[in-house]
This record gives sequence, C-alpha cells and structure tokens, in this order.
Amino acid sequence: MATAAASSGAGGGGAAAAAAGGRSFSFKVVLLGEGCVGKTSLVLRYCENKFNDKHITTLQASFLTKKLNIGGKRVNLAIWDTAGQERFHALGPIYYRDSNGAILVYDITDEDSFQKVKNWVKELRKMLGNEICLCIVGNKIDLEKERHVSIQEAESYAESVGAKHYHTSAKQNKGIEELFLDLCKRMIETAQVDERARGNGSSQSGAARRGVQIIDDEPAAQSSGGCCSSG
Amino acid sequence: MSVKSERRGIHVDQSELLCKKGCGYYGNVAWQGYCSKCWREEYQKARQKQIQEDWELAERLQREEEEAYANTQHTHGAQSLTFTKFEEKKTSEKLRKVATVKKFFGASSRPGTKKALVSKLKEVPEAKAPSPSISRQVSIETDRVSKDFIEFLKTYNKAGQEIYKQCKLFLDTMHRKRELSVEEQSEYAQSLYQNVADKLQTRWKVPPEKVEKVMDQVEKYIMTRLYKYVFCPETTEDEKKDLAVQRRIRALHWVTPQMLCVPVNEEIPEVSDVVVKAITDIIEMDSKRVPRDKLACITSCSKHIFNAIRTTKAEPASADDFLPTLIYIVLKGNPPRLQSNIQYITRFCNPSRLMTGEDGYYFTNLCCAVAFIEKLDAQSLNLSQEDFDRYMSGQTSPKKQEPENWPANVCVGMRQMYRNLGLLSQLNERQERIVSEAKKLERDLIDWTDGITKEVQEIVEKYPLEIKAPNPALAAIDSENVENDKLPPPLQPQVYAG
Repeated sequence: MATAAASSGAGGGGAAAAAAGGRSFSFKVVLLGEGCVGKTSLVLRYCENKFNDKHITTLQASFLTKKLNIGGKRVNLAIWDTAGQERFHALGPIYYRDSNGAILVYDITDEDSFQKVKNWVKELRKMLGNEICLCIVGNKIDLEKERHVSIQEAESYAESVGAKHYHTSAKQNKGIEELFLDLCKRMIETAQVDERARGNGSSQSGAARRGVQIIDDEPAAQSSGGCCSSG
Repeated sequence: MSVKSERRGIHVDQSELLCKKGCGYYGNVAWQGYCSKCWREEYQKARQKQIQEDWELAERLQREEEEAYANTQHTHGAQSLTFTKFEEKKTSEKLRKVATVKKFFGASSRPGTKKALVSKLKEVPEAKAPSPSISRQVSIETDRVSKDFIEFLKTYNKAGQEIYKQCKLFLDTMHRKRELSVEEQSEYAQSLYQNVADKLQTRWKVPPEKVEKVMDQVEKYIMTRLYKYVFCPETTEDEKKDLAVQRRIRALHWVTPQMLCVPVNEEIPEVSDVVVKAITDIIEMDSKRVPRDKLACITSCSKHIFNAIRTTKAEPASADDFLPTLIYIVLKGNPPRLQSNIQYITRFCNPSRLMTGEDGYYFTNLCCAVAFIEKLDAQSLNLSQEDFDRYMSGQTSPKKQEPENWPANVCVGMRQMYRNLGLLSQLNERQERIVSEAKKLERDLIDWTDGITKEVQEIVEKYPLEIKAPNPALAAIDSENVENDKLPPPLQPQVYAG
C-alpha cells in the first residue's frame, strides 16, 4: 500500500501528510480489549465484510489497512490489533505509542471486560493526553438479552473521559461502519487543529519529526527540538 | 630522560627540582621536569595538535579516495589507481579506528553533557589493528551499493544529483563528527530522511510511491556506509543488553508452547517446517546491514508464523495468537544481538516505514516480545512461584516430568533415547513380574511337596505298617502233627543179598 511517506507525527501528534495533490492522511489506530470481546471479528467485518467465515482469505487479522475517502480527503487507516491477554497488559505502551486513535472494545455481556476498558482509558490518557481519539465500543449487541453492562453507565462513562461510545455487532454487521467513519473524521479534525497550532503551512518540514521511539529508557533525547538544521 | 641530577652524593640545587615552567611547584623527571599540572597542560596541547592533524589527514584521504572513486566511475577501470586507493583506504581506516578508540575513552569519562565533545578527546591508547579481511570485504560491498545508488539516481536527473550531494554531505558530516553520541547521530539521520522526503514531495513533485522508493535507496546507501560505526557502538550499553537478553533466553530454555498458550501444533509436519523457517528468518536479521532489510527479515518471520497459526487453527491469526507465537519463536531461536538490532533499527530506519507500515507493526511486536521475555515471571506462564524458581535454577525441567509433551525441539536422538528408556522400564517391569511369578511357582512347588509329604504321613499314620511274625506252622510242620505216632515208621533202607 502506498502511504504518504512525508511526515510522521511526533509525540502522539497527527501523522498527517500532505501529498502533492489533495489532502491525504495516514492514521494509526490501535485496538484494545480483553481476549474474547470480538476485536478480531470487528476488524474482519470492517475490512473484509465477513464474520466467522470459512472463506476468509487473509492470513491474519492483526494488522489490517483500509483506504477511505472522506469529503475528498484520502485516509490510509492502519489498524493495529493488540494481544488482549492479561499477561501482555504491560506491553500496551509499546503498541499504542504514536497512535492517532484507539478503539476500546468490551463485551456487553461481560462486566469484567468493561472494567478492563476503564483501565485502558486511564492509561491512555495518562500516556498520550488528549491527542488521541478514543472510541469505547460495546460489542455483541446481538446478545442484548444477556447484557450485563448498562447502557447509561457505559455512555456516561465515555462522556466523562471525552470518548465516544458505540454499540456494535460484528455478527449482524451493526454500527461498525459508523464507528470507523466517525473516528476518521475526528482524527482528521485533530490532525488539522494540530497542524494549525504548529503554524500555518510550514508544518511539513519544521514540526514533524521522527515517529517511533521504542526504547523507554531514553525519553530525554526526544525533547530536544530544532534538529533539522543539518542536511 | 636525563638523569643527570640524580647522581648520588651530589647536591641538587633547589631550583632544579622545581617545575620548568616556574609555577613554584616541584617538578618530576617523569613529567619532563614539569609539575603535574603544567605537564598535563603541555601534553594536552601537543595531543590536541596531533589529533587535529590526524583528523585533517583522515579527511583529506577520505576526500581523495572518493575523488579517485568518482574517477574510476567515469573512466571505467583505471587499474593503476586501485593500489594507491587501497593504500589510502588502509591508512584512513587506521586513523578512523584511532578516532573510535578516542571516542570510547572520551565518552566514558563524562556522562551526560553532549556539547563540547570535540574538545574532550583525551589519552590515545595504541589502537588495535582491525581485521583487514573484514574491512576489505565490507568496502567492496559498500562500493557496489554506491554504484547502484548512483545508477538509481540517474533516473531522477536533477533531483538525483541534489539528493546525492545531500547524502554525501551528510556522510562527510557524520565522518567528521564521529564522536557524537549515537542519539545525536540518529537525530542527524532522521532529519536527513525528513529533509530529502520533503524536498522530493514539495520541490520535485515526486509521487508518494516513488518517494518511498527513493527513500529506501537513500537509506540503503547511507546505512551500508555507517553501519560499521553506528551499529552497537561502544558508547552505549547495547552490547551489555544483548548479552543479558541472550542469557535470559538461555535460562528460559524450558518454556513450552503450552505455557505460553501458543496456538501452533508442531506435531503437524508442515507447521514444524514453517516454524523452522520463521526461526531462520529472525536469526538472519542480524546479518543484514540496512535497517529496511532487517525489517524485511522480521516481516518474513511473521508471515511464517501466520502460516503456522493458520494451518493449526484454520482461521486468521489475531494479535492474541500472534504475539505468544512470536515470543515462542524468539525463545527458541535466541537471535544474536537482539537488542542492538532493535536499537539500530529504531535509530536509523526511515521513520515512515517504522510508523505506519506493516513492517512497523511486526517490529513493534518484536519489541513487545523482547520486553515480555525480559520481564517474564511465574504468573505470566501460569506457573506457581516454586515451580518457576525450580525450573529457572535448573533443578528440574518440566520436560522430564511429562515426557509425553515434549516440544519438537528435542532432537531426534533424544526422543529415541527417551523412547528406549521407556521400553527399558517396561521390560524391567516385566522381568520383575517374571521373577515374582517364579518365586510364586517355587513356593507352590514347595507347598505341593509339603502337602504330599503330609498326606503320605497321614496315611501312614492312619494305616501303620505292621510287620507280623513269620508263620510258625512252617517251622514246626512236623512237630505239631499229633498223629505222627500213628504213622508207620519211615522206611528204612534194607540190604538184600542178591
């Protein structure tokens, strides 16, 4: 896939890139959520429009991309699945570093999975601040009868942390398209606000710097600005 | 050194003992008559000058070498140049090495302050000569890459020239500033990528797909040249971390796929083949010099893992499946210099690739795998603390306890051995059974004879053997005959005259 190679957001900023022609954006979205909440089904439904299908051709559902065109703006979406097992919880920061959006999935029939989402939200806000667009997703609404997480509770919680709440069913293909479309729009907005804040026009060369810095024991090196003097 | 003043029995004037510079302190012969402070100053000055000269020479040689190289490019095969070129390269190589050692000592003596590094060059121990064969080989490869790069840029005309100039400038700067910390070097490299990409897009209006391609070439060109100096540099802890990870993985040799919940069944031959391929790929990463090639190894390894999962589970792999399997592969493969490679890629890879692409995702997962292995404890393997400690200390191994669940990495010979051991123990059991049966038989036999004896005894007792006196009638057959008297007397022999 052809990603716009120009710039990459620093420190959680928008990885928006201005291509020669129209506007084009590259966004990284992480999928977080406990084991059996249906993260994989959700993305497979979105990217392949298939559910529990024997004919799914992709080898994997852990890294998927989708190209969108929203009001003339081209968007390259990279969806990063994360391992949901408890034992891998501590690895979260490595995954969601530099992401523009996060989709936090819980199972409406499973109270624990909602609790887990709350933990994620706390962590994300602490690590990435308000630069990241959060979506809280109650999946499996086809099992409404067995619901254990109340709608009001979930929605009011989402509002209190500045996240959007969605109800989806990967099985019945409900709410998924809206979820991703909404998220993209919000990420574009954030990226544009970010860009304006950096100063009009000059954004590409000046502010955008390197992206992933995996190693956690040298955060100080990152803060030094104005490194682009050479070359 | 002059030892004149030290002759025995001769009075030495006070002034001769003082520092030559006249600072009022005592001097020392070992410091050529200076006091320690003045000596250091003098020495430093001379050193500095020497170093400066060395740098200049190195730089000049480098430039000449490159010019010479450019000439060979144009004139195609100026053989006469090769030897002098080689000589120059050798000299500059040596100087460069000296500089590296300098850098090493300089950096370790001052933690933190990045600035004013240039003035910090200190004592220069004798540099070790680098292994010539390796540097020769590398330079051949470097030349090939440069040639390719120049060829490639030709298709971009003016933009190509510009880019080449920029890369050249960058490399020169890097050569001159070899004493920079690796973070600063990384910053330089990143800003070069940024700069070139921006220019390509805004000034030369190159479409994004092509920008990607050019950036790959730029990365390949500069990183093949810099690899030697910036991969696992002495100024960092990279090497120490490499060893730590390696030791850690070795200590965890007993971890089974079951403990990690790896959704891969190695009993299936195709799966175990793919697993081997994945391990080969991740090990091969270390042999590549360009960050992108290293990433390609990780990606290829990941693809094999997906294949293995797909074959086992018959559904697309999610991250829940992928990460544990990757961890397992890393544990099994124990790839060399893992930390160094990760650091190198992080510092010098083209950021757009690392940020958004598929390669970036797999790389991130590898980082996660390493982080997990470093922090792994009993809980993360669903083991009790005691079991974990026992396995870690090597007292017992889970494999011995449940020989049915060997991982496939136990070699064929071992398996055969274990199987034979099993057979032997079975045989042993049977033998014991035979012995016990035999004993039983013996016991039975004894019982039987005893029984017989007893029975015989009983019968004997019941019907004792009576020995009766012999019949008297026979003995007195005549005496008892009462009517003997009535019998005529026995005939007597008579003699008749005849």
